[in-house]
Amino acid sequence: MALEFDRSMIGQVFDETVFPPVTTEEIVEFATALGETNPLYIDETAAGKGLYGGLVAPPTFVTKLRAKKFTPDHLPKFGKVGFDGGRDLAIHAPVRPGDQLTMLSTIHDIYEKTGRTGSMYFIVIRNEVKNQKGEKVAVIDHRIMQR
Amino acid sequence: MARILDLHLHSEASDDSRAPVEAYLKWLARKRDERPLEGLVLTEHRQFNQAGDYRDLEDKYGLLILKASEVETDYGHVLVYGVNEDILTRFDFKNVRLPAQEVITEVAHRGGIAMPCHPGRPTIGLIEHYQKKPPLEGVVGVEALNGGSKKGENERVAELIETYGYHAFGGSDSHLVSFVGLCATEFDRDIKTIEDLVEALRAGGYRPVDFRPQRPQPPLVS
Repeated sequence: MALEFDRSMIGQVFDETVFPPVTTEEIVEFATALGETNPLYIDETAAGKGLYGGLVAPPTFVTKLRAKKFTPDHLPKFGKVGFDGGRDLAIHAPVRPGDQLTMLSTIHDIYEKTGRTGSMYFIVIRNEVKNQKGEKVAVIDHRIMQR
Repeated sequence: MARILDLHLHSEASDDSRAPVEAYLKWLARKRDERPLEGLVLTEHRQFNQAGDYRDLEDKYGLLILKASEVETDYGHVLVYGVNEDILTRFDFKNVRLPAQEVITEVAHRGGIAMPCHPGRPTIGLIEHYQKKPPLEGVVGVEALNGGSKKGENERVAELIETYGYHAFGGSDSHLVSFVGLCATEFDRDIKTIEDLVEALRAGGYRPVDFRPQRPQPPLVS
């Protein structure tokens, strides 16, 4: 018997968060906190002569964005406890100063698997990040594991 | 054409692996002296990767790349080789409680072969289920050497093989690039296609091979 839940919730947008425009300071602070030394991320002048023609954010910058709601109101429960099952990040376009980012959140997948310690249930929350031009900037998949 | 194949590994098509197929091939090219593999069989979890087309990579790296599946049953995890439309219509590979006896029997009737993997593993290995339920009929072989097993799990398999007369094969169960090919299977015949592999697995004439670096033994103290 396959895992039972209301499949209509898959792909439904349960949150849309619009963030204030990204600033140069924000990018440089994030990069500096990571110990980044690549001038593309910390030096406007040098970055202007680089690959992107200006300063861009380090690829993991989008992971600092927090949606208003991380999970939908009626998140299915398949076990007694849940914990972080990891996250995948796919980068599609650079983030630049002045970009206004929007994050759309959906349940991307729900599945069950079995391992040494028994059954595990995974809920994949997908955050899709777009910029003000509607370009896809990044896709972040968070796995919530329940058992 | 291949005689030494890793029969069990996962690529980024599986939910718990981030290993691109080309990264496996690059790693094997670097490690050719230690792991002389000639082919890989990608056994993605709970699915058959229909879309994966690795012919260009086969040509580029000179290795055979075949596709199979790892499914989950009421007797633990089972590798299915020779997956076809008929098998996919009969079984929902996402179901983690597939009836093992039906999988073994009906996959064979539909041109494939289903073989239990990591049988010594708790909960998802055949041995633990055989302690509670009758043995499965029609099992040809089991994965006697699994690269992802913990200490003691592979060692439990010898008695199972002796008791039931199963053929033994090996696979790395790699989810990480650097683990590819650490355990594999050596065949007495050449494998060129998935049909060759199914036929060879049914017929016998293969054995697990262990390419894991051996730890130096501590000196004996009298």
